[in-house]
Amino acid sequence: MGTFVVIADSTCDLSMELLEKYDIDYTPMNYTIGTEEFPALLDWSSHSVHDFYESMRCGTIIKTTQVPSIVYEEHFTKWLKEGKDVLYISCSSALSGSINVARIVAKNLVAEYPDRTICCVDSLISSLGQGHLAMVAADMRDEGKTVSEVAEYIESIRLNVNQFATVADLEFLRRAGRVTATSAFFGNFLGIKPIIISDKIGQNYAIKKVKGAVNTRNEIVARIVEAAVEPENNTLYISHADNLTEAEAYRDAILEKVPFKDCIISCIGPIVGASVGPGTVNVYCWGTEVTIEGGK
Amino acid sequence: MGTTVLDGIQLRNMLINGYRNLKRNAETVDELNVFPVPDGDTGKNMTMTIEGGVNRGSEEPESAGTYMKEFAHGTLLAARGNSGVILSQFIRGISESVQDKAEISIDDFLEALLSGSNRAYSAVSKPVEGTMLTVMRESAEKAMKKRAGYTDFEDCLDRVVSEMKKSLIRTPELLPVLKEAGVIDSGGAGLIYIFEGMLLALRNELLDDSSSDLGTHIQFSDYDPENLLTFGYCTEFILQLQAFKTNIDEFDIDEVIRYLETIGDSIVAVCDGTLVKVHVHSHYPEKVIAYARTYGELITIKIENMTFQHSEITAQKKPMEHVKYAVVATATGHGIKKYFKGAGAAIIVDGGKTNNPSSQDFIDVFRQLNADHIIVLPNDSNIIMTAQQAADIYKDADVRVIQTKSIAEGYSALSMMDLTYDTIEEVISEMTYYLPNVTTGYVSTATRDAVMNGIEIKKDDYIGLIHDCILSDSTDKVDAALALIEKLPDIEDKQVITAFCGCDVTLGEKSAFRRMVLERYPLIEVGIIDGGQDVYSFIFAIE
Repeated sequence: MGTFVVIADSTCDLSMELLEKYDIDYTPMNYTIGTEEFPALLDWSSHSVHDFYESMRCGTIIKTTQVPSIVYEEHFTKWLKEGKDVLYISCSSALSGSINVARIVAKNLVAEYPDRTICCVDSLISSLGQGHLAMVAADMRDEGKTVSEVAEYIESIRLNVNQFATVADLEFLRRAGRVTATSAFFGNFLGIKPIIISDKIGQNYAIKKVKGAVNTRNEIVARIVEAAVEPENNTLYISHADNLTEAEAYRDAILEKVPFKDCIISCIGPIVGASVGPGTVNVYCWGTEVTIEGGK
Repeated sequence: MGTTVLDGIQLRNMLINGYRNLKRNAETVDELNVFPVPDGDTGKNMTMTIEGGVNRGSEEPESAGTYMKEFAHGTLLAARGNSGVILSQFIRGISESVQDKAEISIDDFLEALLSGSNRAYSAVSKPVEGTMLTVMRESAEKAMKKRAGYTDFEDCLDRVVSEMKKSLIRTPELLPVLKEAGVIDSGGAGLIYIFEGMLLALRNELLDDSSSDLGTHIQFSDYDPENLLTFGYCTEFILQLQAFKTNIDEFDIDEVIRYLETIGDSIVAVCDGTLVKVHVHSHYPEKVIAYARTYGELITIKIENMTFQHSEITAQKKPMEHVKYAVVATATGHGIKKYFKGAGAAIIVDGGKTNNPSSQDFIDVFRQLNADHIIVLPNDSNIIMTAQQAADIYKDADVRVIQTKSIAEGYSALSMMDLTYDTIEEVISEMTYYLPNVTTGYVSTATRDAVMNGIEIKKDDYIGLIHDCILSDSTDKVDAALALIEKLPDIEDKQVITAFCGCDVTLGEKSAFRRMVLERYPLIEVGIIDGGQDVYSFIFAIE
């Protein structure tokens, strides 16, 4: 145990097992179905994975809200009281305004706990990309680094986490408005899949159209071959929205071409899931720095 | 001894007689269709092409050369279909050879035929023997060999026509597909009717202008007080079922569909929980709405007069907003047109297998667009050359033709369109990326008994075709469609099948088709689009 705690949020998509193993806390966002609000818990205790995505398949519209300030207060205070500093690694600020709330809460709490440090780092990514940064931070904490050192390091490497994602149905992305793309991507074409990267300002950016699920997988494999740096020392991350078969097909296809040291597969949590829709597969790897900015 | 030189007036009379003779026999030429499907249109296309020349040529020409030049320009613009484009290039070559001449001698005429034949060959990227090209070339060459022996034009033209006939009879030997179908080349036959008509003029046998209506004018008109409601209303709504109006648990979507079928067609109705989404084409949208409201209340509603939509193309005369790129697509069938429009085509040119647009039709559309770069999707193998000819003639924008040979290929290209690229080359490169991978399949009805590709076909059977090759035959259209898909050698590598359903396909047939393909090929995505086309029950894009 180090001198500080690593906190992520619901969009980091780490399993309970990984959260425990790396000793990472997270601040839940909320999702609403109809008028009822549920905390977006990564143990899926509000709805099961399948029930959640199945209801989306059936047309249920799920809305999401950012982390409430009270939740930040509770989590941050708990650790500050124990005498620990806080490193909060947030969902990309291009996708959620949560980090702004966290910064305000942090500013107030620092006045109350003048000896403590709270660092809020914008991961500029989400899902397991964000989860990966949290795990890197946890490792450094365990090596004895200070919260400021780790925060600075995470900020310096965050654009080296590459995302390649594709969705089963573009309609969810369009409805959620959490993707930057031209209208050309949203014609009602069967089999057309976008390749979505997390760009240098943390937007989800549909960079290319591909036709057919197999072609899409091949395209993502090719992009990982190009982007991956030192794969033998790094982990491949795949998160999926109730689509394990496809996630495993991605893993097999990628590992055949790129020798990652291991691969972590997890479910896309309710917050990211609500905006990308069932069937989505996200792939993350350590790679060359992302320099593209969508919409420019 | 008869005529040995032709002046402008004589030439004009001959060409008009040639045109009239072709027009009288256009249907005969149409029927020389290799495939037993009702889409033969060579005669109509050639007639309309020549008609462009007749209408353009002045009534009192100054010279034979100027008349021929006017005539050639008219045919270039009016050219429709591959046969029309080749014919217009043939005439262009003739015109280039004689344009400076006040009168044409027999030698000039023979030279001109050779020049025309050369022009026609060079217009085709891969000339195929056994087509009208062969008939043009062989007759010109053989007639030229006897050049010293002709007493007059009648004698010369008589020889040309008889050489054309000999050449035409040989076409099935050169082109196996003709032989198998038991027909001769239709374009060659059309050419002979023109020259025979010209010969008749020399013999003073002038033909009347037959009154048969070839549908020269596209039958669009703006919607006005005199218009009849031809296409009904496209009616779409989302219905919230309401417990106090109906028993939601026992709600049966099929009951809604059965009712809608009594007052409309092109029905798509789906139920999601307590929401019902409906799309229907009906002459009675008020009945549709009233019926829907017996189950609940409408959340959204959209009603469009499709006759008005239909005339939108001609109505659109005001200058369009300036854009960098614009896409023009040829399509037929109201569902397909609407779909292509919705998918990003700026203007749809009405046309397809049985209704080939002319170069002039394309040029008119290019003028309407205010774009730096225009991308044309001809979507039919018989329209590509016309579109290319129009692109060559039009100078006010950079016009590129993507050689889409079918609606399916056009759909594939359009689905990959992304107009945010900096250069036209990148846009086209994306649009054409998957084209080599697209297989187009058709299901149509047989117009005659035949045996093709070892398959026995009865008139009125449904037949499945891929690459102009008949692969299936059945009395049931869905069976014919499935058998066709199963015959595709690389079907296991395909990922997506999009079916454009014709106006004759019922809702039950659509869902049966979808279900059966998914049962057989669970990894393939299947999409159903209401194409509304005639002639083809199904057009498949298999990618």
